[in-house]
Amino acid sequence: MRFGNFLNKFERLNRVVSGGLEWIGVAGLLVIAAVTCIDIVGSKVFLRPVPGSVDINGFSQIIAIAFAIAFTEIIGRHVRVEFFVSRLPWRAQGIINSFTSLLTLALFILIVWRSFVLGLSLQASGQVSSTARIPLYPFAYAISFAVIPVCLIFLVEFLRSVAQGIKR
Amino acid sequence: MSPITIGLIGIGVLLVAFIIRMPLAFAMAFVGFCGFVYLTTPEAGFSVLSRTIFEQFSSFPLSAIPLFILMGSYAYASGISSKLYQTAYTWIGQLRGGLTMATIVACSGFAAICGSSTATAATMGKIALPEMKKYNYSDTLAAGSVAAAGSLGILIPPSTIFIVYGIMTEQSIGKLFIAGVLPGILLSLLFILTVAFICRRNPAAGPQGDHTSWREKFASLTGVVDTIILFCGTIGGLFVGFFTPTQAGAVGAAGAIVIGLARRQLTWQGFLEASKDALRTACMVICIITGATIFGKFMAVSTLTFAAAGWVEGLPFPPLAIMGVIIIIYFVGGCFMDSMALIVLTLPVIFPIVQRLGFDPIWFGVIIVLVAEMGVITPPVGTNVFVIKGVAGDIPLETIFKGIFPFLVALLVCAAIIVAFPKISTFLPSLISY
Repeated sequence: MRFGNFLNKFERLNRVVSGGLEWIGVAGLLVIAAVTCIDIVGSKVFLRPVPGSVDINGFSQIIAIAFAIAFTEIIGRHVRVEFFVSRLPWRAQGIINSFTSLLTLALFILIVWRSFVLGLSLQASGQVSSTARIPLYPFAYAISFAVIPVCLIFLVEFLRSVAQGIKR
Repeated sequence: MSPITIGLIGIGVLLVAFIIRMPLAFAMAFVGFCGFVYLTTPEAGFSVLSRTIFEQFSSFPLSAIPLFILMGSYAYASGISSKLYQTAYTWIGQLRGGLTMATIVACSGFAAICGSSTATAATMGKIALPEMKKYNYSDTLAAGSVAAAGSLGILIPPSTIFIVYGIMTEQSIGKLFIAGVLPGILLSLLFILTVAFICRRNPAAGPQGDHTSWREKFASLTGVVDTIILFCGTIGGLFVGFFTPTQAGAVGAAGAIVIGLARRQLTWQGFLEASKDALRTACMVICIITGATIFGKFMAVSTLTFAAAGWVEGLPFPPLAIMGVIIIIYFVGGCFMDSMALIVLTLPVIFPIVQRLGFDPIWFGVIIVLVAEMGVITPPVGTNVFVIKGVAGDIPLETIFKGIFPFLVALLVCAAIIVAFPKISTFLPSLISY
């Protein structure tokens, strides 16, 4: 029971954090829309496009998508095939969910780790974007940081599913 | 084991991962990564994982997707969808089954400013279902028609599936968009005929609505002005080559905000909610594309895609028979998994076959979207059906699926017509030169 309460509190905290990160994603999305509109007016009306608008859009999109993954998962918007597992007995569902959440947890731990390593290598090589000359490495670090709450979501889901699987 | 065998095992493992409820995007990324590591080296696999995520998340062509989704969200928050429904209702609401026909017309209109079938179904479901309930329409007809007509969202431009198809197959997104116009109109007409047929056989299914005068009818036409402005300003600009897809999406999103503010419909809260909702949908779509890209890289090193294309090409059947099999594969696959995921997952294998058989890629894009439309309404994984269930909680899923069936027949008829007369989808694209 105490463990269940701890998981509930942890889940609530993660939801608040993920919801906060989602606002960063929203800002990224609005930057894409705003920069594109300014670029259109600049290039079509004044013949002066926004320098590096393609790069800015690409990096804003990284921020938008990476920071939205966690909350999108929390509200169940990442598509799953539901028809099979939902028909199984409660315990069987717990066993299967513990397995899938463990695999997904492993995937996101890999993404956190390897995106961080990618950031280190981009920083060491000093790579920058082709037109705006913006350093690439902060965005690899951003992906690594943004998906940490996703790991926590699947960790909690794994623990809950294990408890569901072993409960009589 | 040969790389091709590993590729086949990978597909089997992926299907198991789907069935055991792993999110589709993450399942494709995970299995693709493991397969790539097995066939190459762990270092190469790690590099593919992190670099593909970085490249896809920052892909400029993909930025058209969030922007068109944003446009649809703002259009809904600006009340454009309710006005469309009111106009359609005023014109044809008094016919037998008229409310359902009005819903289909409004869905076609909303599809012209929204690129997602689920968004179209959810938007119109919220407006049309209570009205049809008020006039004692049968639940089967009401729910089935909204779920089916919502699928027009991905055929009538803008369309997220056309954008993804265009990026993956290097086809002009403008041409794909314009290719969807005539089939979209044809399908809308077929849906309306389906409603007329159902109500002729069972008049109680769709009683007549209130009568409206010609003055009211013409006055209601102001309700479509906003949609026409948005459509002409964005998709029109794209057709004439004035905008890139990303620019058209951004102009559409900004235009929907301006309309919402001018009509005093868009609130600050509505703006924030619409932005968040659009971001979540865009995140889901781009994660699916990223996962499928990682899986596609595994398929490429397994050489399975090339082997499959060569094998199909060598089959002693006419190209149209092979196309029929491809359509059946998509139809069956669409019953069990999300249409977008199915398309991004299978296109790297199927598209080279289609090209080698000599089919028009633009025409095939329309066929793919039509089959995807079937996928969003067929059991057990009909996304639109679940959306409608969420909007109208008291209607059982079985009733909605039962209501879908006549519209599924209309979709099949539409697909057959497009296969028999490809010009319907290729005529308009042939008029634009880029």
